[in-house]
Amino acid sequence: MILYLGRRLLGMLGVLLAVAAITFLIFYVLPSDPAAAACGKSCSTERLEAIRAHMGLDQPLWRQFGDFVTGIFTGRTFGSGPYALDCSFPCLGYSYENAQPVWDLLVDRLPVSASLAVGAALIWLALGLGAGVTAALRKDTLTDRALMVGAVAAASLPVYFTSVMLIYGLIRVAGLLPYPQYVPFGSDPLSWASNLLLPWLALAILYAAMYARQSRSSMIESMAEPYIRTARAKGLPRRTVVVKHGLRAAMTPILTIFGMDLGGLLAGAVITESIFGLPGVGRLFYGALTTGDQPVILGVTLLAATFIVVANLCVDLLYAVVDPRVRY
Amino acid sequence: MDQHKRNILAVAVVTALSLGAAGCSGGGTGANGGPGKGGANPATGNLGKVVGGAPAKGGTLTVLSNQDFTHLDPARNWVMGDMDFGTRLLYRTLLTYKAEPGAKGGELSPDLAEDLGTSSNGAKTWTFRLKKGLKYEDGSPVTAQDVKYNVERSFSPDLPGGPDYAARYLAGAEGYQGPAGGKHLDSVKTPDDHTIVFELRKPFAEFPYATVLPTFAPVPKSQDKGPQYDNRPFSSGPYKIESYARDKQLVLVRNPHWDPKTDGVRKAYPDRIVVTMGLKGNQIDDRLITGSGADASAVSWVNLRPESTPKVLTKPDVRARLLAESTNCTEMLQMHTGRAPFDDVKVRQAVQYALDRQSVLTASGGPALNEPATALMPGSLFEGGKQPDTLKIPPTGDVDKAKQLLKEAGKPGGFSTSITVSTGDKAVAEAVQQSLGRAGIKVTIETVDPSAFYDTIGDTKNRTDLTYTGWCPDYPSGSTFLPFVFDGRYIKEKGNSGNHSLFRDEPTMKRMDEIAAMTDAAAANKAWQELDGQILAKAPTAPVVVERKPLLVGPNVAGAFGHTSFGGQIDYATIGLKDPSKSGS
Amino acid sequence: MTTVSASPDRAKERAEAGPAGGGSPWRLALAELRRRPSALAALAVVALFALIAVAAPLLSRLGGWRPDQFDASAVDPYLGGLPIGPLGGVSAEHWLGVEPVTGRDLFARVVHGAQVSLLIAFAATAIVVVAGVAAGVAAGYFGGRTDTVLSRLMDLTMSFPSLIFMIAMMSVARDVNRILLMVLVIGLFGWPGIARIVRGQTLSLKHREYVDAARVSGASDWRILTREVLPGVAGPVIAYTTLIVPGMIATEAALSYLGVGVRPPTPSWGQMIAESVAFYDTDPMYFVVPSVCLFLTVLAFTLLGDALRDVFDPRGGRS
Repeated sequence: MILYLGRRLLGMLGVLLAVAAITFLIFYVLPSDPAAAACGKSCSTERLEAIRAHMGLDQPLWRQFGDFVTGIFTGRTFGSGPYALDCSFPCLGYSYENAQPVWDLLVDRLPVSASLAVGAALIWLALGLGAGVTAALRKDTLTDRALMVGAVAAASLPVYFTSVMLIYGLIRVAGLLPYPQYVPFGSDPLSWASNLLLPWLALAILYAAMYARQSRSSMIESMAEPYIRTARAKGLPRRTVVVKHGLRAAMTPILTIFGMDLGGLLAGAVITESIFGLPGVGRLFYGALTTGDQPVILGVTLLAATFIVVANLCVDLLYAVVDPRVRY
Repeated sequence: MDQHKRNILAVAVVTALSLGAAGCSGGGTGANGGPGKGGANPATGNLGKVVGGAPAKGGTLTVLSNQDFTHLDPARNWVMGDMDFGTRLLYRTLLTYKAEPGAKGGELSPDLAEDLGTSSNGAKTWTFRLKKGLKYEDGSPVTAQDVKYNVERSFSPDLPGGPDYAARYLAGAEGYQGPAGGKHLDSVKTPDDHTIVFELRKPFAEFPYATVLPTFAPVPKSQDKGPQYDNRPFSSGPYKIESYARDKQLVLVRNPHWDPKTDGVRKAYPDRIVVTMGLKGNQIDDRLITGSGADASAVSWVNLRPESTPKVLTKPDVRARLLAESTNCTEMLQMHTGRAPFDDVKVRQAVQYALDRQSVLTASGGPALNEPATALMPGSLFEGGKQPDTLKIPPTGDVDKAKQLLKEAGKPGGFSTSITVSTGDKAVAEAVQQSLGRAGIKVTIETVDPSAFYDTIGDTKNRTDLTYTGWCPDYPSGSTFLPFVFDGRYIKEKGNSGNHSLFRDEPTMKRMDEIAAMTDAAAANKAWQELDGQILAKAPTAPVVVERKPLLVGPNVAGAFGHTSFGGQIDYATIGLKDPSKSGS
Repeated sequence: MTTVSASPDRAKERAEAGPAGGGSPWRLALAELRRRPSALAALAVVALFALIAVAAPLLSRLGGWRPDQFDASAVDPYLGGLPIGPLGGVSAEHWLGVEPVTGRDLFARVVHGAQVSLLIAFAATAIVVVAGVAAGVAAGYFGGRTDTVLSRLMDLTMSFPSLIFMIAMMSVARDVNRILLMVLVIGLFGWPGIARIVRGQTLSLKHREYVDAARVSGASDWRILTREVLPGVAGPVIAYTTLIVPGMIATEAALSYLGVGVRPPTPSWGQMIAESVAFYDTDPMYFVVPSVCLFLTVLAFTLLGDALRDVFDPRGGRS
């Protein structure tokens, strides 16, 4: 088990390093010059060179990448003299746009994206699994048909369509909810939830539909397994059979998907955040992209990759809990 | 357009004159019915007026924005709206503009300085004396050395982006790299704590206008944190920063050490000002149209979205809360005259004739929010406040004439070219693409983020043939327009600004020097106006529109008007609330 | 992140389980389709949109408007360029109304948009399937180091935050064919899903008696791969392919929605929806037309994929 974990962690580091290297490479060939952008409207050549040196852009590519990677672990200092910027562990560099440490920006934005992802995930798990299991247990009934038609339709709706319809219906017409504006959970849990309800729903509808479809077929499959028949034959209550045996086995494939979905969303739902104007990691990324703020782009990409890799690991470990057949 | 940086000091003055013209130009094109029908422009009812009456003291004013400020560090702040926000609320400058709607907003008023400055040595030496009792947010005194320090900061390569007027005019500034290395500028002298003297390298009678810029705001050395000062400028104005989460929210609270007795311009009505950033443009519009709850005490930072105009202009109560001051900038389709095919005047004229200004106008918000341009300088610089129409090209263009000109230029089948626009101008670019396509000129569109736009088109070697950008006069004089846009001697290979057509024409440059040497201001103005027509005939650019800045304010907002010198942005010096108790918190 | 990542994996889960079965997969599929009215309807919708896409220039000529042709007389400049007339300017001249501001014909645009959107989706799917099958078969059949390298590459690709990366790559590239680039970028991140399925299938086929028999009789690797292995994996691949098409359409739309897709004036459904979202209440028709097209196409492919999957995966779904 320990050995397995160690091997996986090492693999994760390798993957992250590769992601960082590739991101670095892509943005090195970026046609726009961040130094020139920072230099502003009337920029002399000497001034441009000075800025370039200050940003470290005069170094060769491998050197910049080396500095970046070592900087993560040991910290580094940008520039020199009274304006030098100290960047301590874990240093992901400074934003070209507003001279804030990328790490601080990520830490600042993460709660928003996490609130969005986790809240939506709870809703879609409840809705999706509920609908899927119900449909599976009433296979080929009208309930099953209705749920599945609804699911396949909802899964075909792009998230921006759902969002706009929700804004129109719940805000403009019914006036039930405010225009989403992020309020930290700590300062007012109630308005945190009421502001996020709409984005949660928009995101959850899509995923719930997909999870309903998935969990229905998984459930049907697992309920057809021989051990379920055995359990039934033993006279166990239906509830116990369904939850303890059927659902547990059906969870394995759903868990895989859930890990990947949540991992991806934690690092920012770009579209949803941009539609609702939520200041999460996704919007940070999108903003950085349009302004060519490379340190931020690199930071968000690494964060996203980390989440995905960690989520995969968690899922693999959870298999052992959910599925008794899995051992490490 | 809202995110455009302007290559200018600040749009000064005027526009009151263009108000009268707005109704006429509107009526001429409103053939399709709608509110434009009777001839009166439905969007300009509030021009020259203050919306909401006199404010009461107190309450929270909310500013709804889709973006963060580019820079609030006074050494780096050179974007129209940001300069308004910074200098009206957070830091004071030597001089500032009067807080008045209409043309009076172009007049100067002392701010840190006691008077408008005195010149000597043939306008090469300028002396300003600071008022007594000026304080920062911690109660420490504002000194002349602090103003000098910020001027020096603006030279630092670590603090790029700010106005370069200091660099252009101060003597001995070549190669100066800012105060971080311990070096100082000898051409800025501070004989005592309350006197600052600027030595210029050439006579500059309009230097007082430059001291309105944030470059001439005080920054105490002890507070300077280099690039991070941007996140927390130290206040000498009526408000100080309580919190600033970049791209999320900025909260301003009163600066108790600001003394209203030393300030003849700022009224500082609200107790708090909260800027919420990163909202969707059309959601801002919808919130302000409804104007309920806290949104009643809110104003928009960014232009009304074109798709929201029907929701505003058709409702008189909402329309009454719309500001639409002219930006006083002429937007132009600029052609790279330095290379083929645009080195041929016939080709450039073909573009002028092929261009469908009507569809570009629609794409930038319609005739209610723009006026079609028929000359280079905005109407405010002409007799009667109206641009002359010397070329007499129909608003929708003349495709046959364009094809004819192309044939004469030896390009009967047209040609392919490309245009660079700021992302917000994509619709404009599509209108240009479509209209030039009618004459066989195939245009590819490159959109660039506003933050990188000027950098991209300033690279004269690698830029596209066409670009769409404008110019605004700094104060009512042709000398702040034509020489900046059409003098070939100012072209730079990189970081080029102003002359985006790369127009280099000997007779034009000769004439500019002659006019600049004229002593009779009236004769000079007349000469600039004539030169405008002569340049237009050589077609380095095709003037397209003069835009307005449409901003909605909530029903509880008072004292709001678009300031003519800040590109039509709301004057934050005098805005407030009707009933502060309704603003919550 | 929102619409993209999930569907291929879901499809994988289902298709992975499916044994190949004998006989022609196509015949099986056709028989199944005939049994299901919903799948038949889906097939009809897919065929209709494919036809529209192919015949786009013809159709728009029939409508009388080119997709990039402005019609200033159809919009009211005083109302922010809102279309004149009911339902977003629906008239004998403009069958589905016009785009606000420009007055471009919505019918012409949505028809050409179908061409662009479906072209990108199909081409990207083709890349994913070809690359995925090749990698999967190679990894499964040859095993050893080939398998290790390819499997690591699959893991690495799947660890990339794909939408974030696609956006980044799209915004970096400038002077290239946008459609081609989009196809490549979308294809780049899609292949590991199908490769894994095919690898698993190949592994199980590799030691079947008939493959062993072919090997003993001296057939070359190439012959075994093309004659024995590929037909064996065809079934799940067909089902999987149908199920990833909606994901590809959605990805194209998402990229165009974020403004890194096709360049103006080229229409695509994603681009049209992106532009029209702001007009959802002032000109609902503009928003509804491309959205409905996108919805119907994605729905149809999903239903079709469901049916095909059931053919090749008799355990799930129906019994």
